Amino acid sequence: MLVHLQGPWTPLLGRLTLQQIPFHVPILVVTFIVVAILAAMVLAATTYFGKWGYLWREWLTTVDHKKIGVMYILLGLVMLLRGFADALMIRTQQAMAVGPGSPGEMGAVHGYLTPFHLGQIFTAHGLIMVVFAATPLLVGLMNIIVPLQIGARDMAYPYLNALGLWLTTAGAALVMMSLFVGNFAHGGWYGFVPYFELPYSPGVGVDYWMWTFQLSAIGTSLGSINLIATIVKMRAPGMTWMRMPMFTWASLSTNLIALTSFPVLMVALALLGLDRYVGTHFYTAGMGGNLMLYNDLFWVWGHPEVYFLILPAFGIMSEIIPTFSEKTLFGYVTMVIASFAIGGVSWGVWLHHFFTMAAAPSVNSFYSVTTMLVGIPTGVKVFNWVFTMYRGRVRYELPMLWALLALFLLLVGGMTGMMNAFASNDYMWHNGLFVVAHFHMMVLVIAASIFGAVEYWFPKVFGFKLEQKWGKWFFWFMIIGTGWTFVPMFFLGFAGMTRRLDYIPYTQWSPYLHIMLVGMVFYVVAVLFFVAHLYVSLRDRVKNRVGADAWGTGRSLEWMTHSPVPAYNYAFIPHVNVLDEWAWRKENGLTELHPGDYEGIHMPKNTGVPLFLGMLFMGLGFALIWRIWWLALLCVALIVALIIIRSFDRDTDMTIPAHTVEQVESGARDETSVAMPTAGVRGGTVIAHSILQSGTSGISGSTTSTSPSLAPMDR
Amino acid sequence: MSASAAQKVDPAHATLWARHYAGHDMIGTRTFGFWLYMLTDAMVYAALFATLGVLSHVVNLAGGPSSSAFINPVYAYGQTITLFLSVLIYGYSMVALKNGNRGGVIGGMFVAMLLGVVYLVISGIDIGNMFAHGIFPQVSGFLSIFFTIIIYHALHIIVGVVWMLVMMIQVAREGFSANVVYRLINLRLFWHFQAVIWVFVFAFVYLQGIVA
Amino acid sequence: MTEHMQDPLNHPEVQLANGRAYLASFIISMLLMTVGLWLAVTHITTPLGTVLMISFLAGVAVIIQGYFILHMDISHAQVWHTVAMVLFLPLFVVTIGLTAWMFHGLYQRTMIMPPAASSMAHMSPMSH
Repeated sequence: MLVHLQGPWTPLLGRLTLQQIPFHVPILVVTFIVVAILAAMVLAATTYFGKWGYLWREWLTTVDHKKIGVMYILLGLVMLLRGFADALMIRTQQAMAVGPGSPGEMGAVHGYLTPFHLGQIFTAHGLIMVVFAATPLLVGLMNIIVPLQIGARDMAYPYLNALGLWLTTAGAALVMMSLFVGNFAHGGWYGFVPYFELPYSPGVGVDYWMWTFQLSAIGTSLGSINLIATIVKMRAPGMTWMRMPMFTWASLSTNLIALTSFPVLMVALALLGLDRYVGTHFYTAGMGGNLMLYNDLFWVWGHPEVYFLILPAFGIMSEIIPTFSEKTLFGYVTMVIASFAIGGVSWGVWLHHFFTMAAAPSVNSFYSVTTMLVGIPTGVKVFNWVFTMYRGRVRYELPMLWALLALFLLLVGGMTGMMNAFASNDYMWHNGLFVVAHFHMMVLVIAASIFGAVEYWFPKVFGFKLEQKWGKWFFWFMIIGTGWTFVPMFFLGFAGMTRRLDYIPYTQWSPYLHIMLVGMVFYVVAVLFFVAHLYVSLRDRVKNRVGADAWGTGRSLEWMTHSPVPAYNYAFIPHVNVLDEWAWRKENGLTELHPGDYEGIHMPKNTGVPLFLGMLFMGLGFALIWRIWWLALLCVALIVALIIIRSFDRDTDMTIPAHTVEQVESGARDETSVAMPTAGVRGGTVIAHSILQSGTSGISGSTTSTSPSLAPMDR
Repeated sequence: MSASAAQKVDPAHATLWARHYAGHDMIGTRTFGFWLYMLTDAMVYAALFATLGVLSHVVNLAGGPSSSAFINPVYAYGQTITLFLSVLIYGYSMVALKNGNRGGVIGGMFVAMLLGVVYLVISGIDIGNMFAHGIFPQVSGFLSIFFTIIIYHALHIIVGVVWMLVMMIQVAREGFSANVVYRLINLRLFWHFQAVIWVFVFAFVYLQGIVA
Repeated sequence: MTEHMQDPLNHPEVQLANGRAYLASFIISMLLMTVGLWLAVTHITTPLGTVLMISFLAGVAVIIQGYFILHMDISHAQVWHTVAMVLFLPLFVVTIGLTAWMFHGLYQRTMIMPPAASSMAHMSPMSH
């Protein structure tokens, strides 16, 4: 049944040979050396400081939604850096390779990257930024904040939550592996058929792309089921639908999109996989295949996916702006309706990604109109944010600055999006840089919101604020970099430049490409400022300690528990009386967080099964990419066996005893105080976070982890 | 500064903390999540049926046989009977669960599982016959999606059979603990959903294939 | 987080099992599928008419099964299951319907065929 392959294949190693390791590409060799040194340093440091046990108990086996969220965000940040490195290389190559006289280095005719190498870079850039940077960052934020905002102690399925994280991580690890073993797809992140079919892309690059994509799709689907069930089933008493914070509403809407659309992506990729592995004819040019079918299925997912990314960003803005305007969100009900309207409309616009397919004019018109409809709910949101700020006491702290940047970029991106909505326009600039500049504006809305959210909720998770000085440098350099990079890109789009060029024949475009390179320099400096921002914040964390209500003007439930949040979130489940419960309690002087008379709390136990499943799925992906059939079968068998064995495990839960809860609660710091002695107080939070790993044996042995400079959570 | 709805609640008499909070309904939460998963699976079928729609044009036959030339409705009808019967028997197993009858649950599930195996045998014979006549997924775009849909449905039946096997052991070992009960309900959703999907497969792949 | 005290067998989702409903669903759907098979085998009406009637029968069967064996109702235990399904239904229609619509136009505009073959171009499995 299997297809005939070009090139060598052995039963033991499949297609894997030594020639697949790119020794001859200097950039990759240097990258490998740097990565190897960094990895060795991390491993050595972990061993030297004796942190393996801590890492295993507190992080790798955790089912705590906050820690899983933090790991999602770390994964997202690492992949964001990788995607940024790709962007840097694309921009450098395009600035160098202009005109027939431009020099060529390292085997390239123009510039320093061969077309094959550049192709891999822009494919990886797109895929990583969408599914391995933006998605984990947003999923991580939702993971941390949604249960807190609805007054729950955990997600609906903590075990599934960890599984989603490790599946996504497995996908990301495979993307990174493709740098050094084999190669990556080189035809663009959303794939082209029949170009991605086996006869035209015989290497493993497309297989890497396909299976990593598939893994992240499975992980995100599992996460969406979890978040929806959490929001529907686990809200605290009194939290009616119309008392839910806006971010939770946005999360619900966005995860409904993910839940409904990701299966279609899985089908699109699986059918391509069948074509490549079994030799079916879904997308082939002949033999009864239909190559536009791939575009159809892919974008049935692809466009809802865009709103899957943007809606949490809107939710973040809807949390930050009221907090720093000291006003309730303007037009709460319209905001809810708008979130769901965007989610709904997102399901009827996908053809605008391939207007040029030659569909009937009536079809193109329909999709033009639906695309323009998106502007209405989005416009409602923009006006609601503006009216929230109007006559409020606006404070320009870092989260607010990022939210305002997101608002501004949304105007630019939204307006250019409306221009793209016209099919007639699209016929002219399809596949051009104008489209690229437009969607980069939109993803920068997401990026700005994420940075704002990290600034905003960081003290909730870690117990101290990030410092402001370097953060502001980072902020302003990001703005300058954005301007210098993407304004010229709009102009180049008008000039007719298409995307993904490895060589630019027109020398008159050279100035724009050089200006964009200057923008990239600003971005690089911004990244350095970001590192300094994190470093200084960690160094001064004692000075920046905060209490439960970190910003003083928090409005929703998450500010009603201690910072950092204890493992069980709330010693007592809050009873919700109004929208913006915490703001209401503060107005009425009901801010006591220690009702006393504690009870034992039932929580899930840690488990290593999700991590092992993630590893097995990674092994399965690797085996399928290289067509090592025995390994693939082995992994499938082990996955099934592990799932069944786990289902027989009855010892999955535990109870945190009441006296432990009391200890944690009495030790928590809820006042912002620089002078407060830290040692004993910190002990309280140590206990709070350590209960899960020590299981039934109590809490005494777990306070050993006191590395102040490296521990991400202050303990 | 004021929350608009806030003033209607009297702060002096409001409940602030839910002491002795019993927690949420664990079984209901589990089955809801599994139902969401089943709906995503239905979405997979929707995408596959959309593909079937696209690849049902005469050009997609690529000179290969059209479905009316090789579909034998006897096998498909046999599959319909066995699957619907299996679903019915599994339903009776759930009635036994309601009455706390452990033997009834296991016995019903065993029969349902056997019928699932019969379904798979019929399906295997049917597909084997097609292969024997040179009708492969690789022949044309239409045959690719035709086989993908029926094999994907058969894979679900295999999963269901394995799952029933596991659940019979768990019921025998643990009795009706909360964990076992929610899994039995999930399996009910899964198995009964296969009947619903089969209606579509039977009507739009087999019957319509005969008409075309 | 769980209801330790309660017997899981008292859960409403266990209690909604109903043997008579399952039997009714079995009989009715078998009947409908048999009629569908009979229509398809005997070619008693035009192909389009047969397809429409089969689609109708399938729709009825699914509604019967959805109500009797999947318990899609608005009782307290099942309401969120039903809401989730109602939310998905239009998306199934959108996915299949809009795809069929756009490719129908596409085939008309790009696959020019002899008149005898073109009648098949109008067939799509989800034409209802």
